Amino acid sequence: MSAPTAPAGATGAARTAGTAAGAAAAAAPPALTPIFLRIKLSLLRNGLKGSSKRKAAYFSTLALALVVGFFMTLGLGLLHGSAHAGTVVVLLAAVLALGWAFMPLFFPTGDETLDPSRLVMLPLRPRPLVRALLAASLVGIGPLFTLCLAIGSVIAVARGAAGAAAAVVAVPLLLLGCVTLARAVATANVRLLTSRKGRDLALLSGLVIAVGAQLANFAGQSLFEAGGLAKLEPVEAVVQWLPPATAVAMVDSVSGGAYGRAAAQLVLTVAAVAGLMWSWERSLTKLMVTPDGSTIAASGPVKDRGAAGGGFWSLMPGGRTGASMQRSLRYVVRDPKTKSAWVTALAIGLIVPVFNALQGTGSVYLGSFGAGMLGVQMYNQFGQDTSAFWMVAQTISNTRDAYVELRARAAALALVTVPYTVLVTAVTAALVDDWQAFPAGVGVALALLGSMLCTGALASARFAYSIPTDGAFKNVAPGQGGLAWGGIAAGMLTSALVCAPVIALAIWLNTAEHRDMSWVVLPIGVAWGWLATWAGLRLAAPTVSRKLPEILLAVSKG
Amino acid sequence: MPDQGDATGGTYGTEGARTAPSAVRVEGLWKRFGEQVAVAGIDLELPAGKFIGLVGPNGAGKTTTLSMVTGLLRPDMGRVLVAGHDVWADPTEVKARIGVLPEGLRLFERLSGRELLGYMGRLRGLAGEETDKRATQLLDILDLAGSQHKLVVDYSTGMRKKIGLAAALLHNPEVLFLDEPFEGVDPVSAQTIRGVLERYTASGATVVFSSHVMELVESLCDWVAVMAAGRIRAAGPLADVRGSAPSLQAAFLELVGAHGRATAGDSLDWLGGNSGKAGDAENSATVAR
Repeated sequence: MSAPTAPAGATGAARTAGTAAGAAAAAAPPALTPIFLRIKLSLLRNGLKGSSKRKAAYFSTLALALVVGFFMTLGLGLLHGSAHAGTVVVLLAAVLALGWAFMPLFFPTGDETLDPSRLVMLPLRPRPLVRALLAASLVGIGPLFTLCLAIGSVIAVARGAAGAAAAVVAVPLLLLGCVTLARAVATANVRLLTSRKGRDLALLSGLVIAVGAQLANFAGQSLFEAGGLAKLEPVEAVVQWLPPATAVAMVDSVSGGAYGRAAAQLVLTVAAVAGLMWSWERSLTKLMVTPDGSTIAASGPVKDRGAAGGGFWSLMPGGRTGASMQRSLRYVVRDPKTKSAWVTALAIGLIVPVFNALQGTGSVYLGSFGAGMLGVQMYNQFGQDTSAFWMVAQTISNTRDAYVELRARAAALALVTVPYTVLVTAVTAALVDDWQAFPAGVGVALALLGSMLCTGALASARFAYSIPTDGAFKNVAPGQGGLAWGGIAAGMLTSALVCAPVIALAIWLNTAEHRDMSWVVLPIGVAWGWLATWAGLRLAAPTVSRKLPEILLAVSKG
Repeated sequence: MPDQGDATGGTYGTEGARTAPSAVRVEGLWKRFGEQVAVAGIDLELPAGKFIGLVGPNGAGKTTTLSMVTGLLRPDMGRVLVAGHDVWADPTEVKARIGVLPEGLRLFERLSGRELLGYMGRLRGLAGEETDKRATQLLDILDLAGSQHKLVVDYSTGMRKKIGLAAALLHNPEVLFLDEPFEGVDPVSAQTIRGVLERYTASGATVVFSSHVMELVESLCDWVAVMAAGRIRAAGPLADVRGSAPSLQAAFLELVGAHGRATAGDSLDWLGGNSGKAGDAENSATVAR
């Protein structure tokens, strides 16, 4: 929904199409729905025009949705008659509805036919407008996929003629429920979505995906053990009364002969869809007749951010070192992209060793996973500054300045990573009850961190690239993908080589019956990491100070 | 009008150089982006202690020139001296002496205005206390004290220009380079910026700024350089460049050869009824102050 992410061609099309819609609406008010459908289709078409990459992405998404949709429909159909069919489809409908409700907040797809701010200037009445918008939002890959799942779901639970009749009613109701829910939530939050805070929120979606995938992975493993599905029945008991899952639950109730319950579920579903439409229409009307208050809200009283000399920051060293560390750490908290990358690294660095330990496959040495993930943040340090790097470039006039700047950034990273690594390794050691390996685990992790800081500093100097500030999944500016991945891949490989001696020592001590001596890996690993970092910073500094304009050019493409 | 129309470019501003030592000296500056020659051999000598305007239409190469002069962009050819020091050979001497406010580059937007100044001051090697004292005064005088704890990302265009100006002034540079400092700025903020700049030049410092708003340049500058298509078309004290033309605007249009285009409005004779207000379009377009 954010205008900057929309392709330029589509924006132009929206404007001309919008004008056409306005003119047509004035002449013949009832014909709004076909016009919106046409706009939607031409936007789709124009969005694909001229860009083979976008075309490929669109059609592969479409094909994927169709294939997955087909097999899920098939799979659901095969569930027909199974004892847990009802549970599965009701929960699936609930998950689907949740997805519809929250996806727009994290993935503003730039569907301009649905963006009320583009329609504000047109003389449109709310009721026909909502009808037209609803029709337009039913066109797309998402609704098609939902339709497949809805059909599969009702096939899974419908039995008998009454069941079939209920199924025919349930499919459009579920689809309508999902779509109106999405529209109502998005429209109610449009002020949030178009504000800076909302855009920041959308940028965190990468984090949700990354961490969610890890958690789903581990949750799935326990669910597919024998009897896993039976655990979900109490959840179903509640969810079958929550619209729009009620639509599918209704089919199940009818097939089971519980007509009273089915009637109640049908009433609930219809009432919910009507209620959502009403709330959508209301927030749409409100949105279109009141001025945008986002700037007014932003100019309210602001809390005093980190007043001078406050607490923690006063412990920082003076000069460039302290200033750069402070800025780096503030960006971790305040910049959505940096925050997203850090929280993902912190979460996965914890999830992998801890969940593996809980499942009995853990090892103390998995603690270095988090150190490695956070070490990646040292790569492309200047790209993280975006074009604001000019402010730094203006103050770097010799190799010493460049060295201090890089050292401060590495220190900020280490300030979080070192205690975090020690903590995660300790938790893992406690879970697998292997305290003897704990010092060696920390030693390996810190050696790895040091070599990542070393190669990260070098990659920052030689392989700088732009990080676009919009789009949660765009982490490299167009045309710089090879540079970015090449830099990171070469860096990781080199890091592995740099800390290989420490890893080899740890392995040797573990296998050659010297486990009681494995603590020596800790001091050696710390010294190794320290030395690697120092060497990396020393080697990178002259390049940085020599190539400031080239780095600035490389990081300003976002 | 001296020196005008000289496409190959000689050294301009010799008159200014006589009265004061030069703040910036540019020799044979070239920059090419692919096929496009952005700056095609500039020689320029900017006198110290003056309010200098670099004017030209969009795409004339003003931003590219200022970027190369301030060390943010590497030229293909040529030499730039600031206060006698080579920008590329002697960055230590140059960077301490210049303040920059570029156009089209970001600031560290996730810092508050005050944090940004504190950060820049420390990067510049100022003591913490001194930085904070200067930051307080700059925030006060630039009317930003009320928003000093707001993140720069939430600032308006005018506020961004002002905080950028504060960051550029923090270390008390000898020469200040400002790229389009008044672009998109409201009249109140523009007046504030103007006041600060006038005070700054009165103390003997040099301001070089680019703009395409002629009235502004005319009212602010005592020395101008006119750029078009990557070359300097004229340079010198304002009165000399303006010559016999009624305004700098007229002189500028003549210099860049854009005269006559304003009357090509016949094809729009249906626009605005039939009252024939052809001249008004030009006037309203230039009242940007």
